[in-house]
Amino acid sequence: MTTHESNSSRSVTIRAENLSKIYGDFAALHSVTFQVRKGTVAAFLGPNGAGKSTTMKILTGYLAPTAGRAEVLGFDPTHPDQRIEMAQRLGYLPENGPLYADMTPRETLEFVGRIRGLGSGLRSAIERVTRQCSIAEVFDKPVGKLSKGFRQRVGMAQALLHDPEVLILDEPTSGLDPLQIRDVRELIRELGRTKTILLSTHILQEVEAVASEVIVVGEGRLVFSGTLDELRAGGTVEQRFYALMDQKRRKEAA
Amino acid sequence: MASSSSKDVILGIAGKELRSFLGNPTGYVFLTLFIALCAGAAFWPREFFDRNLADLATLNRQMPLILMLFVPAITMTLWADERRAGTDELLLTLPVRDTEVVLGKFLGAVGVLSIGLAFSLANVGVLAYLGEPDVGLMFSTFLGYWLMGTLFVAVGMIGSLLTTNVTVAFVLGVLGCAAFALAQSVAIGGGVIGVALLAGLAALGWLVAFGSGIHAGYAALFGAVLGVVLWIGDVVPGFTGLFQAFDAPSHFASFGEGVIRLGDVVFFAGGTAVALYLCGLLLSRRHW
Repeated sequence: MTTHESNSSRSVTIRAENLSKIYGDFAALHSVTFQVRKGTVAAFLGPNGAGKSTTMKILTGYLAPTAGRAEVLGFDPTHPDQRIEMAQRLGYLPENGPLYADMTPRETLEFVGRIRGLGSGLRSAIERVTRQCSIAEVFDKPVGKLSKGFRQRVGMAQALLHDPEVLILDEPTSGLDPLQIRDVRELIRELGRTKTILLSTHILQEVEAVASEVIVVGEGRLVFSGTLDELRAGGTVEQRFYALMDQKRRKEAA
Repeated sequence: MASSSSKDVILGIAGKELRSFLGNPTGYVFLTLFIALCAGAAFWPREFFDRNLADLATLNRQMPLILMLFVPAITMTLWADERRAGTDELLLTLPVRDTEVVLGKFLGAVGVLSIGLAFSLANVGVLAYLGEPDVGLMFSTFLGYWLMGTLFVAVGMIGSLLTTNVTVAFVLGVLGCAAFALAQSVAIGGGVIGVALLAGLAALGWLVAFGSGIHAGYAALFGAVLGVVLWIGDVVPGFTGLFQAFDAPSHFASFGEGVIRLGDVVFFAGGTAVALYLCGLLLSRRHW
């Protein structure tokens, strides 16, 4: 590997190359290629069912792609040993923030911290994420009795517990009220100063609010990949998004 | 970057499962029922007093049936609930291996089983009050219960992995354990085990040959149909008898007489290992 190649490879934190995921006769993802550079907040934009969650499940190693290759921090999520190393440096908030309903946020964070081997640093890590995600007031209430907003924040807290280099957030503001959405976006902007973040959303305003890079997918296919400024060239994010989707539909119909 | 050992991960998951079961009122209901059923099966039959022996022979006959119902009640939520709530995605994207998760959940369920059996030691206390039970016999009897229970835990986990519905997971677990508990005492037991094994082997063969699980279900169906033809059609004489060797009560019998036979220990431990391997295989099907 040349120095140039080495530097170039280092600057890319998340890479998807021709990712495909096929369930029987249905292609949830069709040869999707994109990359997210180190230290950027990238928005994964697309309508419901576009393949955003499937891509994130592949990037985190929960699912294996049918074809193509994924890479996070230089690790292959389909390789068992590399996936473990990757998961130690990666924080993931799955879609709808699934959590154990019978556990309190304290128990949830203690469980995740133990699995992550945080040891003596667990207490301070819990204090940090409790502050960051503002969950102190519900710390000892069962998760199953919390509002959607608090559950989502507990989900964020577990993703941040080990202070990861990379965050993958699947619709982090889904189901939140406007004030909670503002808080979460503020948190993402703050985290984006030191971390690489890939977040999925179908809310167009969210892209402008937090992201510097944008990946647009529709029906499992890549529609656009570039910076926010490139997407906005010649219109607003909203206008360009609808134009891209219409263009894709016309191409498929032809 | 912090990392945890396999032991920490396995014990962490086992502890979570144990707390989840014991932190739930339903868990105590199942434990109380188990203890009551064990006491009833041991001392309710008149035969216990007629024999005038300080042993648990009456309980030994019913224990496979009691475990067949109790163990799936422990295992039914292990995977089905996790997948229904979507928390499996959270768990499996932490720095854990599938084998560690399977072993952690298995140990958690075995922990609940062990607590149930520990409480049922009260029956030995009753025997000690009434007579002088042989310590060695009691040890081997409870070891037999525990080994049979661990096999049923692994089988019940397979049932829980096959569905997202807890009730269906319980029914599948009972059916799986019943195949082992009734292989010899019920005429169709051996046949059902044979059909299930052929179905499983066909699916496994497909996976090994083609490396894809998409059509493994069809292979399993083919194996099951083949098994039914061999069994009902009497194509292979002694087909049922062949699989009656999987009868758990027969392998437990020597434990109940105070004898620990290596072959029986290997049967329970080996059966548990095979069932856990299948759990790992089923867990990895999310990648297919």
